[in-house]
Amino acid sequence: MNLKKLRASKARRLHRSLGAGAAIFVIFMVLSGLAINHSNDLGLDQRHVSQSFLLDWYGLGKPERIQSFAVGDDWLSFAGSQLYLNEKPVATISDGVGAVSNGDILIAADSDELLLLDHDGNLIERIQWEPIGAAPIESIGLHENTMVSVKSAGQLWLADTQMLNWQQADDASPGPLWVTSEPAPDGLQESVTASYRGEGPSLERLLLDLHSGRIFGTIGILVYDLLALALGFLSISGLVLWFRSRRNGKPT
Amino acid sequence: MLKAWRKSFVLLILTLSLPALVFADTVYETELEFLSRAFTDSPPEPNLLWLSGERKSAVRQLLGHDYSALRLRYWCQVGRSAWILDEIGKELPITVGIIVENNYIKNLRVMTYRENRGGEVATAAFTDQFINAELEESNRLNVRIDGISGATLSVQSLTRLATMALYLHTESNCSNES
Repeated sequence: MNLKKLRASKARRLHRSLGAGAAIFVIFMVLSGLAINHSNDLGLDQRHVSQSFLLDWYGLGKPERIQSFAVGDDWLSFAGSQLYLNEKPVATISDGVGAVSNGDILIAADSDELLLLDHDGNLIERIQWEPIGAAPIESIGLHENTMVSVKSAGQLWLADTQMLNWQQADDASPGPLWVTSEPAPDGLQESVTASYRGEGPSLERLLLDLHSGRIFGTIGILVYDLLALALGFLSISGLVLWFRSRRNGKPT
Repeated sequence: MLKAWRKSFVLLILTLSLPALVFADTVYETELEFLSRAFTDSPPEPNLLWLSGERKSAVRQLLGHDYSALRLRYWCQVGRSAWILDEIGKELPITVGIIVENNYIKNLRVMTYRENRGGEVATAAFTDQFINAELEESNRLNVRIDGISGATLSVQSLTRLATMALYLHTESNCSNES
């Protein structure tokens, strides 16, 4: 075998290997491209992915922790910066401290404000704590089962029935029952987590990201660039091999 | 050489911290400062006004949407009422303190501004336009408020809040005291 033939044989082998490797990529690009072109007809823009690993991949992680408080028959839960009444998001809150109910009103406390809600989750009022007590809220509880109480810098504060005025209680007053978070029912924890993560990206978005390589970040785009260059090389090497075989009068 | 490096480092830190400075909330007045300005003697106890029924509909008409809370606290003394109200400018709420006396605006001041553009509405040159404004029968202010280019939404928000405060004053027990 002379040098020319050896080179031609090597080129054919390289062309074949690259072609076989690129085939899977090409088929995927063709199928995903077709699906993207018809995404509206296929309803891909309306369907969302909910697989946990995909949501994690897109940065839609679970809340670091969920703190739930039983308020009458309902639950108030803090997940990240979101406050939930049962599974319904009702307000944003910075760092939840606790939640109680005085019958008509649900009260959620974070370190610098109190949120008053009705039983449908409508916001009644946001009470800034700073004008009342200088130090942040540490705990919230019920005094004699009715009066909303707050602990701030070790001091006890008691609210009137309308939560309009606050008074500092003397040290001799019996201590209120401070609330602590309780494990919420499993179903509720799952609902709150699902709501916190949102409905996830649409199937169309997932396909677009897979089609462009963006789903794997910068590395994905670079790998797709290399694959595209390989396809370009295959076209050229295919043409070269075809012309060469025509010139030699042999089929490839 | 070392000095030049230090200078560059300080400049870099300043440049990096600039967005944080630009986008931080600007607090012009706290609740306590507002109340002590509104009532020269000690501030009165707060009162409550519930936004329900017809009052809720009226507020919705004035603002173009429901107010963000179901009840409001206000302070009242001898016909003078003080209100702290929130309204979205473009994306974030602007907190405004409004003093109403005998059905006209005695003073309006931006207490906290959170948007990154349009902060000019907090200047006295702009807010002084509201002084002595009254509510016409058509529920509009009887004075023309000149806008600020680049702060149109904030200007509109403050105008809506001024109208709302005048309406709320008439709804409160405070108007009976005047």
